Amino acid sequence: MKWLVIFLVSIIVFLTSNICAQDVLKKQFAYAKNLYSNEDYYDAITELKRLLFFDTGCHYTFEAYMLMGKSYKMGGKFSDAILNYTDAELNAKTIQQIYQAKIEIIRTNILRRTTDRALQLLGELEKDKRFAHKANEINYWRGWDFMFADKWDDASKSFSKIDSCKQLKYLAEKVHKDKYSEVFSNLISHFIPGTGQIYTGNYFSGFLSLGWNILWGYVTVNSFAANRIFDGLVELNLLWLRFYNGNIQNAQNFAKEKNLVITNKALNYLQFKYDGLKP
Amino acid sequence: MKKTIFLILCYSSILIAQSVDKQKEVNLFSPSNIKKFADYLFCSHDYLRAALEYQRYLSTNHNDTVSYKIAIANSKIGNYSKAAKLFTSIDHKSHFFSDAQLEYYKALFQDEDYFELRNDIINADSSNQFLHSPRAKKLFYFSYLFTNDSLPSENQFLSPFDGTDFQRVKDFYNWKEAPPYKSSLVAGILAAIIPGLGKFYVKEYSDGVFAFLATAALGYLSYTDFKAGHDIRGWVFGGVAAGFYAGNIYGSIAAAQIYNVKIQFDFVNSLKIFLNAQDFFIPEIKFCR
Repeated sequence: MKWLVIFLVSIIVFLTSNICAQDVLKKQFAYAKNLYSNEDYYDAITELKRLLFFDTGCHYTFEAYMLMGKSYKMGGKFSDAILNYTDAELNAKTIQQIYQAKIEIIRTNILRRTTDRALQLLGELEKDKRFAHKANEINYWRGWDFMFADKWDDASKSFSKIDSCKQLKYLAEKVHKDKYSEVFSNLISHFIPGTGQIYTGNYFSGFLSLGWNILWGYVTVNSFAANRIFDGLVELNLLWLRFYNGNIQNAQNFAKEKNLVITNKALNYLQFKYDGLKP
Repeated sequence: MKKTIFLILCYSSILIAQSVDKQKEVNLFSPSNIKKFADYLFCSHDYLRAALEYQRYLSTNHNDTVSYKIAIANSKIGNYSKAAKLFTSIDHKSHFFSDAQLEYYKALFQDEDYFELRNDIINADSSNQFLHSPRAKKLFYFSYLFTNDSLPSENQFLSPFDGTDFQRVKDFYNWKEAPPYKSSLVAGILAAIIPGLGKFYVKEYSDGVFAFLATAALGYLSYTDFKAGHDIRGWVFGGVAAGFYAGNIYGSIAAAQIYNVKIQFDFVNSLKIFLNAQDFFIPEIKFCR
């Protein structure tokens, strides 16, 4: 009887002190979460670091690292965010938590524009049998990854594998169709100077380029025809080829600029008007 | 029975006392826990957070180690002027006083406040052993390499240095005394005599060759056109050749100036690399294992 009472007292005191300790950690986590909600990311990180430092029983390790990753991400410190998500993954206790951390790493890689790394991680996730039922979500982030990598056709193909993603599929298709081909623009400029610019809608620049090439081509050919070989060579190198090469570079740059406008418009729409999940 | 109750009471009180201790331990914002956390942040190189936590600790306690660490943390995050102020506030009775004095000069140096640094050392009482230590002297003389003030004599300058540093510092001194600059005037004159020669002088060989060939070719074209009676073409090529010639003179003068800026930049860069490798001649106290 005596020993039973002593045992019960010990258990009660031990449990009370442990519950108290956990309660403090719980409050600390709630405090950090509140700071995060109020967009006070710097202080949120400080309090999460404090929580991690005192949480010797690792009760909140996963949650704290995840929230720290989110805080860094919101502050634009993507590399730090990825480091914290990786720590969260290492401290995950369930498969769902591992998946959650991995997806956050992928999303941050997309935002950081390290899209190749994100694609590699998505591939690994897809091969992992534990996440076989997450195919739709994996394809969704792959689509986003392709959009950020400026591969709109691939993005459209990824979104087409998901029934509920028609809006993104059409957007990616439209951007792909609207974009100018840099290769084509470059190629036609080789054959007829100025056509690359005309193809991208820069008519004045295109005709001007054509005019310069005709003029210096004529002068050069005229010199060669009059047996003024040295004059011809100088005119060819210093004048005609200069305008000819400039025309090719110009056509390619115009195509790049136009494509940038098109893709920026699409990304702007995604950032401000798209309601679904974003990286 | 009484014995049993007594035993239970004793045991419970021990457990409750331990429990109270544990509760104190889990008060994350108790001064001792704030300090523990700040120490952890400091050793994780998270100096800004560490400084803030140490300041929080100091609001309830006095601790010269913590004051010193706040100053160090500020210095680490590049807040040199604040660090300098904090180092001067370390009490002369403190164990860290002598280190704080030297760190103060290091902070002034890092803040590029060389005038203040030298002034303090020159005006210091001769009995002040910290200010007349070889470390302070090294910083004092080294500061001359970063300014345009006249250098002390070579012997005086090199007196605090020895060992492996000596030759390196001597090289820096010699560079500063006679920097290997290129004259813009010479570059311009050389370019005027032979197009491209100015560029050769500032070690831009490919530009020099191109300038020579372009000016010569265009000049020759102009000459042959005039000779063949194609006056208009002669004037056009002559004009372009004159443009190349004048442009080359201007380019050579500019290249000499760019060359000088580049070697000055390289010099300052190598000084900074050397100083960082030497930890500004003032090694840190190792607080973290």
